Amino acid sequence: MKLPSPTRVLLYIVLILIAFLIVLPFWAGITTSLKTSIDVIYTIPVEPPPSPTFGPWMDALEVMGRPLLNSLTFTIFATIFSCIIGSINGYALSKIRFKGSDIVFMFFSLGIFIPYQTVLIPLVLTMSKLGLYNTLGALVLAHTAYGIPICTLIFRNFYKEIPDSLVMAAKTDGAGTWKIYRSILLPLSAAAFVVAGVLQFTSIWDDFLFGLILARGSEALPASVALANLRGTTTANWNVQMAGALWFALPVVIVYLVLGKYLIKGYMAGAVKG
Amino acid sequence: MVKVIIKNLTKKYGEVQAVKNLDLDIEDKEFFVLLGPSGCGKSTALLCIAGLLRPDRGEIWFDNKLVTNPQRDVYLPPQQREVAMVFQDYALYPHMTVSQNIAFPLEVRKTSKSEVVKRVKATAELLGISQLLDRKPKQLSGGQRQRVALGRAIIREPKIFLMDEPLANLDAKLRVYMRVELKKLHQKLGTTTVYVTHDQVEAMSLGDRVAVLKDGILQQVAAPTELYDAPKNTFVAGFIGSPPMNMLNGNLVEKDENLTIDLGVTTFELPHWMQEKVKEAKVSEVVLGFRPEHITLTGKYQVNTIEAKVEMCESIGREVHVHLTVGDNSIVAVTTPAEDVKVGKAAWMVLNEEKIHIFDGKTGGILA
Repeated sequence: MKLPSPTRVLLYIVLILIAFLIVLPFWAGITTSLKTSIDVIYTIPVEPPPSPTFGPWMDALEVMGRPLLNSLTFTIFATIFSCIIGSINGYALSKIRFKGSDIVFMFFSLGIFIPYQTVLIPLVLTMSKLGLYNTLGALVLAHTAYGIPICTLIFRNFYKEIPDSLVMAAKTDGAGTWKIYRSILLPLSAAAFVVAGVLQFTSIWDDFLFGLILARGSEALPASVALANLRGTTTANWNVQMAGALWFALPVVIVYLVLGKYLIKGYMAGAVKG
Repeated sequence: MVKVIIKNLTKKYGEVQAVKNLDLDIEDKEFFVLLGPSGCGKSTALLCIAGLLRPDRGEIWFDNKLVTNPQRDVYLPPQQREVAMVFQDYALYPHMTVSQNIAFPLEVRKTSKSEVVKRVKATAELLGISQLLDRKPKQLSGGQRQRVALGRAIIREPKIFLMDEPLANLDAKLRVYMRVELKKLHQKLGTTTVYVTHDQVEAMSLGDRVAVLKDGILQQVAAPTELYDAPKNTFVAGFIGSPPMNMLNGNLVEKDENLTIDLGVTTFELPHWMQEKVKEAKVSEVVLGFRPEHITLTGKYQVNTIEAKVEMCESIGREVHVHLTVGDNSIVAVTTPAEDVKVGKAAWMVLNEEKIHIFDGKTGGILA
């Protein structure tokens, strides 16, 4: 066997060090979440629990069970809606040439850069006018609207890579605008749906601000806000907080585990070569 | 089956005029070729016929049905034109199998399942791709993809076939083979076909008639042999034929009532049959054109020949290409040189006087 070169060895050492630093807080979270309240005080965070217990996990779930379901609901719906709308927009902007399509696209792109904070007041006012304030509907609508620009951008760029001749062929074959979308472009968009979907899922799931102002203290409370509420007012139940954080991280981790390999493929999917 | 009439077709992309005032009459059942270098507007014209592009001006008629006229706001979308198009990149739907690809135009038209199955089978047999029906386009070779694209075009029996450089992505051997297949297919089906190519050999071998375009302007429409034997201008003369027609610039001078071209290094007396015609044109600058195969080379001086220097002999197998220079001009002769013709030495070109052409030196138009 050939020995690796010294630069390789150095590289590995550096990489292992970085990986260690990244994993460390996660590790501390897991160990702490499995400790009793007493053990949390008597051990340092990275130490393994002397008497492991799932108690904190159950305690956290009691508080966060409903908010987790809430989050899951509006995240899934908003992800699906924004991806579908983004895909249709992307099709229109890349394959149907209409006057001013470039300007429309420019405005969509600008939408990506609008900070959440600037729209808070009009958002709350609009939602209460619509009678959606403090409901899951408000969160679905807000996150769908906010996700449309980035999804449009992803799908538009993806469809640009699909040769125009496919659309032209479908047209001469007799297919109309919707038929072309459903039969030709949509079936070719799996990679873009994975990329946009994962991006949307994680950013909507992680969002705190919209949840805080649109559904605070209500039945529709999102998990991100519930997690923040776990910290308590007088005491810090580190073990329960850590367990709550891990519950909160779980769906995103699952999404990455399931779709991760498609995600990398999606990022690399340039041309859809025949 | 249908006749295509194009009147005064004009299309601009920004400031660039892709097609200028194009007039074409494409006959029923004709195999019509649009030929020209890249950017000459041939694909633009084809896309206008397909309805995939809206021209700025002009009319397109299918028989006596007006399908395009921007001034009168007439525009029949491609879905309703009953044309089928074959693209250079084949444009096969990558997620569908061969049989789904071929069936797509029928599926769009909501044809019954049993009818679709029957026609896909018949089409596949016609094109010899029956064994490929369950494959995806990715698993096919270039030639096979080409056949599938053809299958998708012919299955619904369109009125017109439009083909945009369909053989350009194939390797040389396969291209020749598919060329023959295309011609056979056309003979069998008899569908009016408009075929775009930049390859003059393809155009000559396939076309009943060929339209030569340059910078969006129609240069000549004629049967292949006529294009070859009687080009209308220097562009067509230089574009058709391989190696192309030789051309030498010169000035007309009258000597003893006979017109002679002063080629700088030498002079050449015009044959009698063209004297009158050239005289009538009243021009001084002319271009003398002659095809490589209309040159005979000799090592000795003869009357009314052009002296040249032999640079190189290239044996292609069946024929010999002799590269010569006359002054600064390169000339190619396809001939078997006489034994006294030596590389690096002078030789005299005897031209077949029946076959030479004289063009106007300024406009490039044919004089005789």
